[in-house]
Amino acid sequence: MSASPILQANELTVRFGHLVAVRDVSFNAQQGAITAVIGPNGAGKSTLFNLISGAIRPNAGQVMFQGREVTGLSPHQMLGQGLARSFQITNLFFELPVRENLRLAAQFLEQGRGLFRPVSASQIACKRVDELIEQFQLGPVADEMAGFLSHGEQRRLEIAVALAGRPRLLLLDEPTQGMSHSDTHRTEALIRSLVGPSLSVLLVEHDVDLVMNLSDHVVVMHQGQKLAEGPPQVVRANPAVQAAYFGESPHD
Amino acid sequence: MDWIQFVLAPQIVNGLAIGVAVVLMALGLTIIFGLLDVINMAHGEFYAIGAYVAVALLGAGLTFWWALALTPLLMALIGYVTERSLIQRVFHSKDRHTLTLLLTFGIGIVLEDILKLVFGANPLRVEAPISGATEMLGLFFPNYRLFVMGLGALIIIAVWVLVFRTSLGAMVRAAAFDRQMTASLGVPVNRVYAATFAFGVALAGVSGVLLAPIYSVFPTMGRDFVLIAFSVVIIGGMGSIKGAVIAGLLLTQIQSISSLFISPVWGDPLLFGIMVLVLMWRPQGLFGRLGHA
Amino acid sequence: MHEVTSRSLGHPARALHWLAGLFFGLALVFAIVAWTVGDVFFFRLGTEALIFAGLALSVDLLLGRTGLLPLGQALFFGMGAYVSALVLKNWSSSFWIAIAVALVFSAITGLIGGLIAIRSKGVYFALISFGLAQVVSKIIFNTRELGASDGMIGVPVAQIAPGLESGQPAGFFLVVLSILFILYAGLAYLMETPFGRQLGAVRTNEQRLSFLGVDPWRTKLAAFVGAACIAGVSGALYPMLRGFVSPELMFFQVSGNAVINVIVGGTGTLIGPLYGSALLTVLRSVVGSYTAHHQIVIGILFILVVIVLPRGLIGLAAPALQERLGRREGAVRTPILHADHPQ
Repeated sequence: MSASPILQANELTVRFGHLVAVRDVSFNAQQGAITAVIGPNGAGKSTLFNLISGAIRPNAGQVMFQGREVTGLSPHQMLGQGLARSFQITNLFFELPVRENLRLAAQFLEQGRGLFRPVSASQIACKRVDELIEQFQLGPVADEMAGFLSHGEQRRLEIAVALAGRPRLLLLDEPTQGMSHSDTHRTEALIRSLVGPSLSVLLVEHDVDLVMNLSDHVVVMHQGQKLAEGPPQVVRANPAVQAAYFGESPHD
Repeated sequence: MDWIQFVLAPQIVNGLAIGVAVVLMALGLTIIFGLLDVINMAHGEFYAIGAYVAVALLGAGLTFWWALALTPLLMALIGYVTERSLIQRVFHSKDRHTLTLLLTFGIGIVLEDILKLVFGANPLRVEAPISGATEMLGLFFPNYRLFVMGLGALIIIAVWVLVFRTSLGAMVRAAAFDRQMTASLGVPVNRVYAATFAFGVALAGVSGVLLAPIYSVFPTMGRDFVLIAFSVVIIGGMGSIKGAVIAGLLLTQIQSISSLFISPVWGDPLLFGIMVLVLMWRPQGLFGRLGHA
Repeated sequence: MHEVTSRSLGHPARALHWLAGLFFGLALVFAIVAWTVGDVFFFRLGTEALIFAGLALSVDLLLGRTGLLPLGQALFFGMGAYVSALVLKNWSSSFWIAIAVALVFSAITGLIGGLIAIRSKGVYFALISFGLAQVVSKIIFNTRELGASDGMIGVPVAQIAPGLESGQPAGFFLVVLSILFILYAGLAYLMETPFGRQLGAVRTNEQRLSFLGVDPWRTKLAAFVGAACIAGVSGALYPMLRGFVSPELMFFQVSGNAVINVIVGGTGTLIGPLYGSALLTVLRSVVGSYTAHHQIVIGILFILVVIVLPRGLIGLAAPALQERLGRREGAVRTPILHADHPQ
């Protein structure tokens, strides 16, 4: 496992009018590891996430992925670079079955081949769909429309869809949003099982305990700036981090 | 210098008269969009109906002034009924935007053909109520056009005051901003919506009456005019009153002055071209939305 | 390996194919009846209905599949007609050359139009489409070389094959029917390819699709060009039938009627627009023989459909038929959206 960072954020800044949502934030995400971005409400984690995933452009700074600059690329170019994201508010094709959701995502692997041939001719994509259904335990609901799934199943599908194109870095936006305890543990284990030499994970989370258990590397945001960065234990013990979290009214 | 006085200035003044009428129409459209989130594809037909209602009233022996006063009221009634009986039926569906667009599109088709049925397809002429011209700065300006400018300006100011300075307007803007909240405050939101639509339609009708003596009156007049109105609304920013006024005046001036240099046939394509460019570079138009402005 | 068919997509595909077969079957029956009756009028009306059905098909590709409402599709239809007329009058009386030139021309103009229009969505797209048609039709209206407001008459008959030319009512009807069949079958096939599925996905969730590596702009542009070609080819058939072209072919009435045909027939079903066109062309003709104001009737019917039956006739019939055909999993259901999904 290489120790070089797979993702580098350099002095990212973004302004919405007079509000500076993210100011001069720099951090690294390591290859083959789980990096988490946490922070109280309004800390700017979602904005930072959107910056990295290509949803918004920064006013200043760069995002380097595997040594290449990916700042300001349009969303559809991101996957080509090896970056894929999931959404905090479930963003699936609700009127389509689970299989089709996955197939649309897996089609990327065909790299434009077979675009005008019957769907069944895209063997690589179809195989990937079967793989994912098994990996994410979506077998029982594979032919159901995504809109019919339970919340937990939808959140799993959300991650599976992001993973379908075999990205090198998976960006997860509050993956356990609204999940029950058991689902959360399941997801935690799932994410753990995903990382390896070919897949790193960067996630934004609210659940501090989950993050401390799960991640190898933590970045703490506060009021648009990076407050601390390092292994979970170190960050947790950081007095500034404690002040930021416990100095404000409980929100979790 | 002569050119400015004898060629440019009259064009500008003529353009202002048309501009004011375009602004009224655009205001109606932008208010309907700003509050109801409805794209009124029939707006051109309501404009035409306004002109025809005036024709009918004149034919019944009323003076132009009566026609001018009564037409908005009749148009408001037509608008109110249309909104409550038809538009509200698709209002709450999931595909609301597409359905209201299609619905108003269908209403426009029916209205246009009704006009053809009732009044015939031939253009009608309406006599300007004020004749003659006034001399200003060595030039003669048609009195009717000056009147249109003046009255139009008054109406625009009145609309602005109504929307931004009265409690009725505040209610309307609140309903635009947050429907449920406003409803829970006891405001009869459905009626507010219908009344707003009626108001927008009345503005289109007034525009039709005012322009009737300038252009002739024919059943498809709305179809031609609505593209200008939509262009103005889009360039000004959908839902923005300020945008409608500024863009309306500006664009009619551009059209008016450009007709000195290029054939008038290219006037509409020019506006359309500007609209396309604005959509490509600044899709939200010059200014913001009604409730949020 | 499990195949994701249209059946599991919630499209009642079996029913739609059945209805398509019915449509073309009925068209053949119509041809036989018209042949026995011997009145040329029926063939002419039927052919015209089929030509406008092609236009409706192009509208459905955009509206029903890509989610874009084109209020000016008659632009490509009319331009195809003019190109065809010009080719037949001045260059060659070959049916195939006229169609080919119209196709190429439509592809090019479709690309230009698409580059202008595709950046926008919803009502903006509709207005740009509308505006383009208004502007171009006005230009042609004022162009003397193209016949100005009178259009061009005296378009010669097109030679299709030895012994078969467009002046033969029955023969041309069958030719147009075949072309329509090819267009329909082509589109139906396309919907079962990854590209076709992308189109549908653009309509339901463009944002997510872009994060899946698909450039929605390119997808929409391709659909736009495709639709322009279909409209252009359909338009090219018009002067072969009627012997003339006029700027009215680009007017809003034609675009509007096409949209109405699609909505009444059933948006997104592809076969619905064909049914819609056939029904409404006949209706317009029947009502039109009593009064010049048939648009009122059509318009009211359209309004009723939008309010009461937004999925259109086929949109209603197909799921019902699908259930009758006994395949439960093809029934269309509306998914229940969870509270956290903004809609």
